[in-house]
Amino acid sequence: MTKVSGNTELSGFRLFWSRFNERGVLLVLIGLCIILSIVTPNFRQVTNVINITRQIAEISIAAIGMTYVIIVAEIDLSIGSVYGLCAMIAGKMLGRNISIPLVIIMAIAVGAAIGLFNGAITTKLKVPAFIVTLSVLALARGAVMFLAEGYSLSVFPTSANPFFAIGGNIGRIPIQIFIMFVLLTIAGIILAKTTFGFKIYATGGNKVAAQLTGINTDRIKIYCFMICGATAAISGIISLAYLQSVHPSAGTGREMDVIAAVIVGGTYLYGGRGTILGTFIGAAIIGVVRNGMVLIGIPAYGQEAFIGFVILIAVILDTLLRREKQ
Amino acid sequence: MEKNIFIEFENITKFFPGVKALSEVSFFIRKGEIHALVGENGAGKSTLINICSGVLLPNDGHILLEGSQVKFNAPKDAERHKISTVFQEIPVCSNMSVSQNIFLGADPKSRFGFLDNTFMNKETIRLLSIFHIKRKPTELMKNLSLAEQSMIQILRAVNNEPDFLILDEPTSSLSIEQKDILFDFLKKLRNERKLTVLYVSHRLEEIFEIADRITVLKDGLYINTVNTPDVNIDNIINMMVGRDIDKYFYEKSKHFGENILEVTNLSRGKVLQNISFSIRKGEILGVAGLQGAGRTELGRAIFGADKIDSGIFTIYDKKVQIKNVSNAINHGIAMISENRRDQGIIPFMTVSDNLIMVALKKVSKFGYFINNRIRNLVKTYVNNFSIKVSSPLQKIANLSGGNQQKVIISRWLANEPKLLICDEPTRGIDVGSKSEIHSLIVNLAKNGMAVLLISSELPELLSICDRIIIMRNGRITGELEHKDATEEKIMYMATAL
Repeated sequence: MTKVSGNTELSGFRLFWSRFNERGVLLVLIGLCIILSIVTPNFRQVTNVINITRQIAEISIAAIGMTYVIIVAEIDLSIGSVYGLCAMIAGKMLGRNISIPLVIIMAIAVGAAIGLFNGAITTKLKVPAFIVTLSVLALARGAVMFLAEGYSLSVFPTSANPFFAIGGNIGRIPIQIFIMFVLLTIAGIILAKTTFGFKIYATGGNKVAAQLTGINTDRIKIYCFMICGATAAISGIISLAYLQSVHPSAGTGREMDVIAAVIVGGTYLYGGRGTILGTFIGAAIIGVVRNGMVLIGIPAYGQEAFIGFVILIAVILDTLLRREKQ
Repeated sequence: MEKNIFIEFENITKFFPGVKALSEVSFFIRKGEIHALVGENGAGKSTLINICSGVLLPNDGHILLEGSQVKFNAPKDAERHKISTVFQEIPVCSNMSVSQNIFLGADPKSRFGFLDNTFMNKETIRLLSIFHIKRKPTELMKNLSLAEQSMIQILRAVNNEPDFLILDEPTSSLSIEQKDILFDFLKKLRNERKLTVLYVSHRLEEIFEIADRITVLKDGLYINTVNTPDVNIDNIINMMVGRDIDKYFYEKSKHFGENILEVTNLSRGKVLQNISFSIRKGEILGVAGLQGAGRTELGRAIFGADKIDSGIFTIYDKKVQIKNVSNAINHGIAMISENRRDQGIIPFMTVSDNLIMVALKKVSKFGYFINNRIRNLVKTYVNNFSIKVSSPLQKIANLSGGNQQKVIISRWLANEPKLLICDEPTRGIDVGSKSEIHSLIVNLAKNGMAVLLISSELPELLSICDRIIIMRNGRITGELEHKDATEEKIMYMATAL
């Protein structure tokens, strides 16, 4: 939080690089891109790059809240269903000609409300977040099915068209990329530069110590769960705007990619450490890996296994590196 | 040539990145002696213990066990040579029973290859009776007090029938009676079984009670080994720090200001019963008592960390409600908790972050940090209290105990409290830093702060407190002015009244 002076041996870029905690994952990302560019030339095509960035945007926006939640040493498994539920609710509301800003606000509010529920049960009743959010994963998916009555939603009145513009481009660049950068920047500043962000790190770093300095750790955790629900909702809304349809199974398994992005990005599973920049790079790695696997022709089942493998490797590397430092 | 040498260290050297933890340390321990190892924090005691028990490998030098060279690549190797170590902060398996913890790793088998529970429980009862622990062998470890848990760890080590027992600060959570039992037990093993003990402790008074010989380390160097009867505490302190420490005398102010806090009929279950006292501006009020007397609980109750059943707090003649920690902080109360590692520092965070924790509002505007204010605040305290850091961005976990404690104290001072509750502020801190922290507290009081000093160390209470209240079983059993207080009087009130 404070700047340091007096490191005389390094200067300029090298000093920056030595303090750049995300350098490991960034190198992995660059390495992956180089390998894929050589193996499958299609990887470099502009349309493909745009495709990847769309995917990265969806993952990294949902990963913002997940980063907060994991830094306070909790977990949220429900976000795949929250993503689907909020997209479905937004879709249903669009079908009824409700004003677009209200649709967006309502859908995000539902996500935040689910987060509030997750956080309140976790902190006040002291039920492990793993169990609470696993239950909510099923509950919210059931709610999507109920709302959708089993069918995809893909027919909308013309009044919904301005909403679908969110899924469009400025020039060739998808609008969701801009949304992503704005949200990531805000989230990064909150985490690194505000007292709220400080309290998030303190809560995850040592809950008892934080409480004894007057930090209401339960409240901080609840806020993080709410942000997590909200960012999952935003991610769902963006996918609705782009696809102009929503399937009852939308977002199934999404929590996997998002948690993978956060962990690969260097956030410590037991809380107290992590950055938004790391999460963004982690999301980029997941996006690139998924895209690369499609291009190479790995079947869908293999892709899931591979993502699992990537998480495992990331966690093992992280553990080994930390052990070495000590 | 000296006979009867059990274990000998020859030129043991150990490097860590950037530090030489041990530098050509050579000495020997005789068979059947209790050998104390002392030194300030960072002197290399822990490193030596770790090498002795196979946790670390030395970079250079070797260990001779009864004349033959041995190499411990892993803790198992040391165990095979009948060396048992009780580490200071060894985790217990808190969800397993007492007997399972004692027999952890030993796994006595019955005829059919199952764990022999009958045997384990019978042996456990016998072992527990040695230390007068009234617990069932099937009791879960987590239901035991900290003191009982650490005695179970010692029993576990002894149960392996070692020839060489290494104890690292074994008494840090024990009461005086428990300590006496432990010492009698160790002496008995030494006399009957020729058990050799390496005993590491900060508590020099205890070392003089138990040790046959004392080895002093300083900054990774071997200083000297002496026979206990030939020296006194001051000699040892001199060797440890290389300077005299006036640890028993501070100039006291005689005039105090108005009451800062008055506590009336504070009660919480059986832990705190009808506690009433007051503390004045500029006064250091000591709280003495044995383990479990309710001292820590008293501090936590005033600080709003535990819910109380009844009681009235009056701050500056105004009745106030303290329902949680935030209330207490807003009323100008600060607390340095007894367990620095678990309840004080946030290890992943920097010195700077750990220091600004309570004063967040002061270093921010609309919740946004102002870097300049952070830098200035941190610089002020780092300079004023000469906190040794390579940079404010250093991780606090890498600081010595004394410097960590200074950061924690600074954290609270940054919020300008009126009442500072210090719970065991010098626990696990080396002699040099200890006296620094003492004079720091005395100076704070001189400048008008009220200090409630909870401590197990009587010399600490006697040297810096203006008044001492003594607790026993959740009640206040006595009060002594500085000039009247003696260790004997305090112990009498703490145990007999």
